[in-house]
Amino acid sequence: MQPAQTNINTVPKIDQTKQTRHLPNKRKAGRLIVSYFFLTLAAVVMIVPFLWSLSTALKGKNEAIFSFPPNFIPENITLENFMTVWNTLPIPLYLWNSIILAFWGVILPLLFCSLAAFPLARMNFKGKNTVFLVILATMMIPGEVTMIPIYLILEKLGLIDSFAGVILPGAVSAFGIFLMRQAFLGIPKEIDESAIIDGARPWQIWWYILIPMVKPMLATLAILSFIGSWNNFLWPLLVLQDPNAYPLTVGLYDLKGTFVTDTRLVSAGAIIALIPILVVFMMFQNYFIKGAYSSAVKG
Amino acid sequence: MYKARHAWSFLLPAGILLTTFTLLPALAALGISFTNYNVFQPVEWVGLDNFKTAFQDEEFWSALRNTFYFWVLVTPALVVLPVFLAILVNQNLRAIKLYRLIYYFPALVSVVITAILWNWLFASDGIFNYLLSLVGVNPVDWLTSRKFVMPSLAMVTIWQGLGYYMLFYLAGLQSVPTDLYEAAELDGANFWQKHRHITFPMLKPIIFFTAVISTMSAFKEFTLMLTMTEGGPIGASKTVVYMVFEKAFKELEMGYASAISFILFIIILILTLLNKRTLDQET
Repeated sequence: MQPAQTNINTVPKIDQTKQTRHLPNKRKAGRLIVSYFFLTLAAVVMIVPFLWSLSTALKGKNEAIFSFPPNFIPENITLENFMTVWNTLPIPLYLWNSIILAFWGVILPLLFCSLAAFPLARMNFKGKNTVFLVILATMMIPGEVTMIPIYLILEKLGLIDSFAGVILPGAVSAFGIFLMRQAFLGIPKEIDESAIIDGARPWQIWWYILIPMVKPMLATLAILSFIGSWNNFLWPLLVLQDPNAYPLTVGLYDLKGTFVTDTRLVSAGAIIALIPILVVFMMFQNYFIKGAYSSAVKG
Repeated sequence: MYKARHAWSFLLPAGILLTTFTLLPALAALGISFTNYNVFQPVEWVGLDNFKTAFQDEEFWSALRNTFYFWVLVTPALVVLPVFLAILVNQNLRAIKLYRLIYYFPALVSVVITAILWNWLFASDGIFNYLLSLVGVNPVDWLTSRKFVMPSLAMVTIWQGLGYYMLFYLAGLQSVPTDLYEAAELDGANFWQKHRHITFPMLKPIIFFTAVISTMSAFKEFTLMLTMTEGGPIGASKTVVYMVFEKAFKELEMGYASAISFILFIIILILTLLNKRTLDQET
């Protein structure tokens, strides 16, 4: 059950030329116009909320934000809102906190999931099926049920108001273990056998032989973990009490309170917070799309 | 070749974490829901009292109604609309990749930012009311009237989910053999006939998959309500999970909150099983 390896740039193309070859040119042109009309309409719907906030953030103090008709292009483009937000709120600190949280939020699942997946995919031992079933069962336990006990456990462990308290509850996912197990299953068993004959230890086989062979799946898991960690809002909100430890999501939630009346500043803050995810998305777009496909396997 | 102790040592870190943060909490939640645990008082076993209280609590029924209402608004839209989007982007056209990326991007935006973006659109003199004024309709209190708050929040959720579910359908569409469409076109089938008789039957498994996933997430939604409306006006957008959050972390009634979360879990479980049964029958 390999997750679909399709990604946005290498999807098998439906051969449109073949499909429409026998159509008259007029009909082909008409179809093209209709397609682009709907494509663009949908794109506008998706983009307008972003554009509107960007335009609001670029408007000066004297320009009305809510005017009839709405004015998308500011009369005088100014960056002062961005400067104000940057100077009033510890944005670099929030950003740094988000990066630290995302770093551990990516590294730990990669490590722990690929460790646990190794014996489940490539070893035979007593109790393997039971372990597997238990992991399967944890996938069905919903987050809203475990939310309260996890908080109480973190309290007992003294992890409230620490990054560890935000990171550890999500450091292993049953889904991640499954994903990595699928990847390990795809490697021929003979590789382990000959490595053992050559005197390799299990951790050497894992690290030097198997891990390099499952890099694409690791990348997919990394991206999925990154999105989850970067957008994590509830756990930082519940666990972190010191405002200096807030990641961007929680800091921004706070910002709504600080500048509650100043639409321009809140918009500027939202745009600042959007930039990192936009950059990462542009850089790794193929992995994002592939990650989304892979999460379909979860069902 | 490998020894059992090797297996267990590789499983150990993940095992400890899954036990501490998933297995134990799940058992604990069940236990807590039978107590009056509220942080201040000594813990007492109260049996089914919390569950009884829930079924007599008007606030709980209202939250349950809101949750079902939200589900009815969101899930059908997220099952149907992405199909059309997927059909659109499954064409070999120039810049089609860019369109796919644009549609998918909202799914990556955190709920806090989404709330900020949409608050401006819903403002009393925002874009939506301007569009309404163009067709001569009076302004609407999108987020502040009991009537419109849930449809407005549903709109945001649909906007965010369209591109995400589109990808699943796109994957499905790309496994439909092209010659089926060619044959249909030679027989003179139009757009609707082609998709009615070829696309939709082929997509059936994905349609049910989408229904299950979007049902689960609609029933669990509450961060959007927390960031956009704080459950208001007068509780009109307070969902069950929102109520769990409030009871547990604001009023510190952990026992009662756990009981409510369990009731919701049972409801989601039943709906998922029903969905699965329909799926098994249909395919």
